[in-house]
Amino acid sequence: MERREFLKKSAATGLLISAADVLNYKLLAQEAPLDFVVIKNGSPAQLVRKAVEELGGMGKFVSKGQAVLLKPNIGWDRTPEQAANTNPEAVAEVVKMCLDAGAKRVRVLDRTCNQSRRCYQRSGIESAAKKAGAEVRHIVDSRFSEVNIPEGELLKSWPLYRDVLEFDVFINMPIAKHHTISGITLGFKNMMGIMGDDRGKIHKNFHTNIVDINTAIKPTLTIIDAYRILVRNGPTGGNLDDVEIPKVVIAGTDRVAIDAYAVTLFGKDAKDIEYIQNAHKRGLGQADLSRVKMKEIDLSA
Amino acid sequence: MKNARRISQLIFFLFFLFLFFQARYPYEIHLPSDLFLRSSPLVGFITIISSRSFIQTVIPAFIILLLTIPLGRFFCGWICPLGTVIDINDSFIKRKKPKRSELENRRLRFLKFFILFAILTASIFSLQFIWLFDPIVLLTRVLTLTIYPVFVFLLTGFFDFAFKIGFLEDQVYSTYDFFQNTVLPIQRPEFFASMLVLLLFAGILVLGLVSKRFWCRNVCPLGALLGIFSKYRLTKRYVSESCTNCGKCRISCKMNAIEDDYTINNTVECIECAECVAVCPPKAVSYRFGKSTGANEIDFSRRRLIQSGIAGLSLLAVIKAAAKDKTQAGKAIRPPGAIPEDEFLDRCIRCQECVRICSSTGACLQPSVLESGWEGIWSPIAVASVGYCEFNCKLCGQVCPTGAIQNITLEKKQKLRMGTAYFDKSRCIPWYSQQDCLVCEEHCPLPDKAIKFDIREARTPDGSLRVVKFPYVDETLCIGCGICENKCPVVGKKGIFVTAANNERIEPA
Repeated sequence: MERREFLKKSAATGLLISAADVLNYKLLAQEAPLDFVVIKNGSPAQLVRKAVEELGGMGKFVSKGQAVLLKPNIGWDRTPEQAANTNPEAVAEVVKMCLDAGAKRVRVLDRTCNQSRRCYQRSGIESAAKKAGAEVRHIVDSRFSEVNIPEGELLKSWPLYRDVLEFDVFINMPIAKHHTISGITLGFKNMMGIMGDDRGKIHKNFHTNIVDINTAIKPTLTIIDAYRILVRNGPTGGNLDDVEIPKVVIAGTDRVAIDAYAVTLFGKDAKDIEYIQNAHKRGLGQADLSRVKMKEIDLSA
Repeated sequence: MKNARRISQLIFFLFFLFLFFQARYPYEIHLPSDLFLRSSPLVGFITIISSRSFIQTVIPAFIILLLTIPLGRFFCGWICPLGTVIDINDSFIKRKKPKRSELENRRLRFLKFFILFAILTASIFSLQFIWLFDPIVLLTRVLTLTIYPVFVFLLTGFFDFAFKIGFLEDQVYSTYDFFQNTVLPIQRPEFFASMLVLLLFAGILVLGLVSKRFWCRNVCPLGALLGIFSKYRLTKRYVSESCTNCGKCRISCKMNAIEDDYTINNTVECIECAECVAVCPPKAVSYRFGKSTGANEIDFSRRRLIQSGIAGLSLLAVIKAAAKDKTQAGKAIRPPGAIPEDEFLDRCIRCQECVRICSSTGACLQPSVLESGWEGIWSPIAVASVGYCEFNCKLCGQVCPTGAIQNITLEKKQKLRMGTAYFDKSRCIPWYSQQDCLVCEEHCPLPDKAIKFDIREARTPDGSLRVVKFPYVDETLCIGCGICENKCPVVGKKGIFVTAANNERIEPA
């Protein structure tokens, strides 16, 4: 290509892009997309399906032929009723929606805390996701690679699971539950499941470290399963008296707003959750719920 | 008949390996993986004597022992997996035709009886020592502690390499997943005892240089026990009149059981391997049912009997009198369901069944070195710096051949205290550096967490005040599973550690 031609072409491309931006801006102004939706009172599958539909359908996040990595919480050797792991029916429904949207593959994985095969089995996620058509994988230690975190304040780099970097779409799908370090564990903390090495180390200065990690990877979509929530003795639980069933799913693209909303299910305020405030300040999303565009739908109404 | 024996050896050896690999999570097969151990009459006989209790799980051993009375040492020749390994090893050793003097040299044959009676005497006075000599235990142990870790090391090394290259990732993963579900443990097993166990085992194989089946001829106390029981066996080695006195049978005999007169064999020593049948040029030798006509002397004098008794008692005295390090003893955390310590040591044959099945789940069990004293070498202890006891797991009790670890219900196990956790406040992050950490509390599996917090203000090095969650252990709740120590992020000596304090034992059923 001649230099002149190249310059011409780049100029034209630049113009086109800015034109598209303007156009896009106008579209946005007409109908600003929702930051997140909250769906209440339905089965786990109904809740996630409705949530994704309200966000514009899975086709908005997953294009034909793309590879999707779905990361539920499968951390513990606990049953779905004990609410320590993401709801298996909800996971299966997301898998189905991704495949229906034309995903080439949907891979489900998590780096567990208890023995991985126990967790995958008892959580019910392995069988449910496989049945829905996902490939359920266990973490392979040699597939972590060191990733630089340019925006990290304390963590400058950390080994992350290669699939997260290689796949086209990343869906973060935590369960909402009690956790002593931050009061509750939600989308931000769920990202620890793709971290290699001795991740317990990041509990020291947790509220900065967890935001650092989240600057490295941005999920395409975050879905918080709050069908069952563990309100005490988390994140492991074990006592059914500590489980409440609010039957809620929160999904969207503003991960800070989503976590900020989810804490209200526990009777807390995002203002008091340090990492949410940190994430807001560092521009990862909106923590002030009065300034987000969201929608609440009650399926029982 | 020789071929039939070889096929039998092969089948039982493969069956042994099959059962070996069954001892892993989720362990849903109906065949007990410890079947061979429970079928060893030595294990059955001695553990019942040393523990002075009837152990139901070792009933198969008595079936073998009863069958030995009419059938002779068929176990040694046709079943014993260690015998098979020794046979295979011996087949690689080229031997010169033995001199007559070598064939007549049977000076060491008494040794196995000596060892048997020494062990028996010690066990009567409650020191169980078969763990060092039982062939099934020896083989299971070397497989678990040395050969299996090497196998895992090589296999995982291959997969690490393949995953790094990333070529054919899906195929590599599915192969890896297959191995993970069948033979690979949850993490690479590493044992301090590996080298010593290997040396012992290698010694057995090296003895093959001296003679065929040296171990079986001279050392194996299980062989001695079966030999005594097969004295009046009903299988006889019959030599017809077509015998040409060529002497080939005598040279071929693995056990050197054939006398100068080739028609006579020692029924205590003969393992019915049928080498003599196969090697005989005029096909004069056969095995038949009927009262044995062989010589059946047990190569053991009354004087030797007394000597072996004294040897057993001396061993007992030396071991029991040795100093026990109390700090070390605190580290001897027994698996959940373990019976009281003295009885535990009487029953535990150090076969490492529990250690191996644990390596597929929580991976906390390790053969002890000297934590439980000389008497407890290689008995299982939970080492939280290596692994932790999975809350929903009780597999170790399901594979213990002698009931040293009782098979208790999961409900019971989840409340059973193996030990107790303690904070080391000079190392724990909140205590040491006035910052929250809580990894231990996060992992604590108890529905009502055994790690609680004292939340209060603390002065930080820059002089400011900060609210810190200071953790402490509620010892009424802690069961000592060790996940807190295992997951503690402190580098080096952990901020929380488990000891055997307050451990609860199960009375044997």
